[in-house]
Amino acid sequence: MKIIDTIYLKKTYRLGRIEVNALNGVTTSADEGEFVAIMGPSGSGKSTFLNLVGMLDIPSSGEIYLNGTDTIKMDERTRTEYRLKNIGFVFQFFNLFMELTAVENVMFPMMLSGHPFHRERAEELLEIVGLNKRSNHLPSELSGGEQQRVAIARALSNKPKLLLTDEPTANLDTKITREIMELFRTLNHDQHQTIIMVTHNPELGEMADRIIHFRDGKVEG
Amino acid sequence: MGLRSDIRTAFFFARKDTSKNKRVFALIIIAIAFATANIIIINGFMDGFSNSLMDVTLDISSGHVNIYPKENERYIEGLGIKELKLSRMENVIAHSPRLYSSGTLSFNGKTKTVKIVALDPEKERDVTTILGKIIEGGTLKRENEILISYRIAEDLGANAGGEATLVFENGKSKTYRIKGITRTGVMDIDASGVIMYMGEVNRILGLSGKASIIMVKISGRELAEEYRNILKKELEVTKVKVWREEIEGIVGSMNTIKKMTDTVIAVGLFAAAVSVGVIIYVNVIYKRRQIGMMKAIGMKGSVIFTVYLMEALFFAIIGVASGDALGYMGTKYLETKPFYCPIIKEYISAKFYTYLLYDASIVSGAVVVLAGMYPALIAGRTNIIKAIWGT
Repeated sequence: MKIIDTIYLKKTYRLGRIEVNALNGVTTSADEGEFVAIMGPSGSGKSTFLNLVGMLDIPSSGEIYLNGTDTIKMDERTRTEYRLKNIGFVFQFFNLFMELTAVENVMFPMMLSGHPFHRERAEELLEIVGLNKRSNHLPSELSGGEQQRVAIARALSNKPKLLLTDEPTANLDTKITREIMELFRTLNHDQHQTIIMVTHNPELGEMADRIIHFRDGKVEG
Repeated sequence: MGLRSDIRTAFFFARKDTSKNKRVFALIIIAIAFATANIIIINGFMDGFSNSLMDVTLDISSGHVNIYPKENERYIEGLGIKELKLSRMENVIAHSPRLYSSGTLSFNGKTKTVKIVALDPEKERDVTTILGKIIEGGTLKRENEILISYRIAEDLGANAGGEATLVFENGKSKTYRIKGITRTGVMDIDASGVIMYMGEVNRILGLSGKASIIMVKISGRELAEEYRNILKKELEVTKVKVWREEIEGIVGSMNTIKKMTDTVIAVGLFAAAVSVGVIIYVNVIYKRRQIGMMKAIGMKGSVIFTVYLMEALFFAIIGVASGDALGYMGTKYLETKPFYCPIIKEYISAKFYTYLLYDASIVSGAVVVLAGMYPALIAGRTNIIKAIWGT
């Protein structure tokens, strides 16, 4: 079953008087349980595509279906609720809440969705990402790799159908990068977690089930 | 996912965010606390001062209700029957008629125009304290004695114990012994007042059963309005003033001073509000990426707005409570340190009133929360893409 289906997706930004076509008619899809890498040079529209699929932004034209639901027609409130329940994000800069401990960061989306046992579930997730002993540490007390693990645990907290990740290892060294990628593979294999990962790194792309190449705002090939 | 979880999450985050930087938190609380305490102490001082001033003025120169002659008449007629009725009225504790007249006082070749305040010392003592305001000599005991104001004494070079000749408005004159010199704090009496026995003045002016004013003291001054109508009806008089009207001038002056102090308070409050607003605003700008992430995760703009509004509310609650405590202690301390007011020649002090706490809490709290409103709105409206990627 298709979890992502985009039809002739376009996104145009205006930079002063100049219009920039970040996406120029992208038609693509991803199946449930797939691990897809999106690759391409800088400015090819990878992150823009991820933002649109993640409902963080609205396309200039085209259609996006997530799990068969037309997301373009949703109002802002519905989009926010949909993101909370169905999409997890992992970004390059971790973006943890610095005033919350690791476990509180993971609890946070569950608190928003009214999950009754958020602390227990957060502890479980931290155990899955191998950080159960650091759960009461603040992000400033964690290494980059540990922070990204917390970000992954947070992204998984509401059991999202879709995990979107943008250059998740760009700020990490080779050893930690390998560990994070292993974590993604495990989540994909063992829990059938659908993962869409934007990356520059061909080695990381090879670890995905499939690679979609972007160039000049279009899907290549 | 509902209102309850939204509020719970907003509260959780706001609490964590405000408690992270304890130094900034303490600074904001201090700013709000001082602004709140400032309101309580200054108003306590002003209210204490104005109430003392009003009390002293009333004690010296007015009854709770004062009866005046009818329009276009100089005297109240039928004083005897009116006094009889007053003495039988419920809640009327005392009354004192006075007769005002004018004349010239001569001492050692110097002469000054004076205002004669004729009264019955026995009755006057039950209504006002004017006869106790003697700075030299003693009080009236005999009809051939007068009290003169300190200004008359200065102008004529007179002392207690001396003899002065008073020429009345009908041309008759008589020499009196200056029994004492007064300083009352009431402007016209201090300027030119000669206090003497009413019976003596009546005799010399050939008057009987007349008064310029009857000052009535009732069991509580809050009954004054009620007694205005009762007295009009029972004593068949038309012009009756209550104590508040008698001190309109003082109330007006105090209101003017209060406006000035309110301005000072407003500036202090504005400074506290700005500091809270700026700190929350800077926090919002500094955490733009984090706010973007909150929205990306699925936190509604309204919940983010609530987070920062709650932060302002935390500051307001703790700051105002601290300010209330500080203001209470400050005002109570000042209550124990009265100072001498040269205008009314009395010790006056700040006074703590419970309503000051309510007023200060409401005003400070509202201003601080309002100050947090703008940065909270900005936080709630943050664009996710721009915030996360810093564009």
